[in-house]
Amino acid sequence: MSELLAALGSLFTTPIVPAAFGGVAWGILGGSLPGLSPSITMALLLPFTYGMGATTSVVLLASTYVGAEYGGSIPAILIGTPGTNAAAATVVDGYMMKQQGKGGEALGISLYSGFIGGLFGLLVLVGLTERLSGVALAFTPSSYFALGVLGLSVIATLSSDSLVTGLIAGVLGLMISTVGTDPVTGLNRFTFDSPDLLSGVPPILVMIGVYAMSGLFMKTGEPEWEKASREDARIKFPSPAMWKRIAFPQAIGSLVGSFEGMMPGAGGAISSFLAYNEARRWSKHKEEFGHGSPEGIAAPEAANNTVACTALVPMLSLGIPSSNSSAVLLGGFLMHGLIPGPLLFVNHLDVVHGLYTGLFVANVAMLIIGYLIMTPCMWLVARPKPYLMAFIYALVVSGVYAIQNSLFHVGLALGFGVLGSGMKYFKLPVLPMVLGVVLGFVVESNYRRALVISGGDYRTFIQDPIAAGLLIAALLFISGSLVRHLREA
Amino acid sequence: MKARAVTKDAAQREILLGCVTLVIAGGYYLLATRIPQSDIADVIGAQGLPKTYAALLAGLSILLIARAAMARSRAAAPDAASATPKSRLERGLAWRVFGMLMNGVIYVVVAPWLGYVLSITALIAATVYYQGGGLSRRSVAVALGGALFFWLLFVRILHIAQPAGLWPSLL
Repeated sequence: MSELLAALGSLFTTPIVPAAFGGVAWGILGGSLPGLSPSITMALLLPFTYGMGATTSVVLLASTYVGAEYGGSIPAILIGTPGTNAAAATVVDGYMMKQQGKGGEALGISLYSGFIGGLFGLLVLVGLTERLSGVALAFTPSSYFALGVLGLSVIATLSSDSLVTGLIAGVLGLMISTVGTDPVTGLNRFTFDSPDLLSGVPPILVMIGVYAMSGLFMKTGEPEWEKASREDARIKFPSPAMWKRIAFPQAIGSLVGSFEGMMPGAGGAISSFLAYNEARRWSKHKEEFGHGSPEGIAAPEAANNTVACTALVPMLSLGIPSSNSSAVLLGGFLMHGLIPGPLLFVNHLDVVHGLYTGLFVANVAMLIIGYLIMTPCMWLVARPKPYLMAFIYALVVSGVYAIQNSLFHVGLALGFGVLGSGMKYFKLPVLPMVLGVVLGFVVESNYRRALVISGGDYRTFIQDPIAAGLLIAALLFISGSLVRHLREA
Repeated sequence: MKARAVTKDAAQREILLGCVTLVIAGGYYLLATRIPQSDIADVIGAQGLPKTYAALLAGLSILLIARAAMARSRAAAPDAASATPKSRLERGLAWRVFGMLMNGVIYVVVAPWLGYVLSITALIAATVYYQGGGLSRRSVAVALGGALFFWLLFVRILHIAQPAGLWPSLL
């Protein structure tokens, strides 16, 4: 009860409401532009959060994630092109409904289902996160090292196509994390005598580079996307009969999204397709799927908005981002000196409560803004692509400079943009590299601190029960993925 | 058991990737050996993990090259009829990335001299041109309007400083 009151109290002490509304509006706009994923939309916003309070900043980013998951369904329904990967399942029946003259109804089902899914995901987030992080006070440097290793072991799961390329990307990230001052001796490493590199490569620059910059670079030369007419953009909320019909698919989507959101690498896209499949399996109107079924929109849209909340469970409680978007949100935390993981709930409980409240407001805001923003959204999507891309480029460049008033940082982000483009060309997954960058310092500094404390005795990692448990979990994770990869080889 | 299907093109790309990462591993290892030793170093030392990472990357690169080379030898050469030609987008990828990068690099170089408004105008105009929007009165007007919008947003409304350029010293 006291936690609920504290969470509600943050509504009045911090500008959570405008941040949630602003984030949702930006998220819907970004998500509705084909090619801008939720993570890119969030990364574009990162520099602006630098001067904000910590709670406002994380609420803004998390709300952007919520908004983008709904925004992706707008072009999916209106022009048959998903704005985000997670909206790909919505295209099947959403675009079909639009062609049958029921585009407004499809948008309403999408918005309402996203709202239900988002609220369910928030309940799961609040219920699970603090329990997982309850062991905070017992953590030693050995435990933190083991937690970092567990986070890195996720790379094995994330590397769905090739374990080797996933590991290569992860090691590249670890290498980037070693730039700067050595955490134990204070010696400079890989700084090339540049004072700008003494404090290392900020993870935020890596994220802006590999997500936002490389996204822009890779979109150059691609054809314009189809435009939708304004008549399509009038949302119709579902009738009571329709509410009844889509309630079960929404429940399926929420359950699938809850489970998949917490799984590393699964994310919104997989959960949407799984939810779609399960909704069809359990439907009384199987024959309508693929031909404009409202249930075929409700299930995936509930699932991807549930994921927007449940993906934060491993990130908040263990500091392990399970998706690109939660990695960017992690960047927002780090930028404010907040380290997600067990101690976040001890040292910065106010921020966590603020985030919960912000996510609730964001889901309500999605209902309101989702209805109001359609016209500006359609206007934005209808702009010529060269102008849109040029403005986004200018926004990113200006935003990166604003972080520390440094053109060197702009250059660094451009460099990571090239690296991200190269990785996409070579089909190297980006998230393992980001994990390496984020967790590299945690792993190295705690590994060496633990050895200093134990006098160089490596048994410290198995004598500490938490560390031993986490290392065993990491081992199981890696061996499970290895077996899966070997079976598929 | 399903075999991992690798085309000849994909195998060649993986070999190239393996070579690139092998070179990175070598260069990184050399730089790691140049990190000075400290009298207060712990058992691992400042060089410890960087050298381990370099060795790990080298090992993974060799594994990737070997795996891709075997896959390439197994993959049948595509006949002319079934071969899918590389798309125009894929062929021009390097140039597209290079062009966009150069727009950004030029911005970084000229911003300290020209200041924010002129530099961002140039960046927007150049990007519109490069993205196929052409160079017209309209595109220049949009670039100027955009620069003004960003200047108002960052400098006047959010009070976030942007490069001032040489202008303040001339006044």
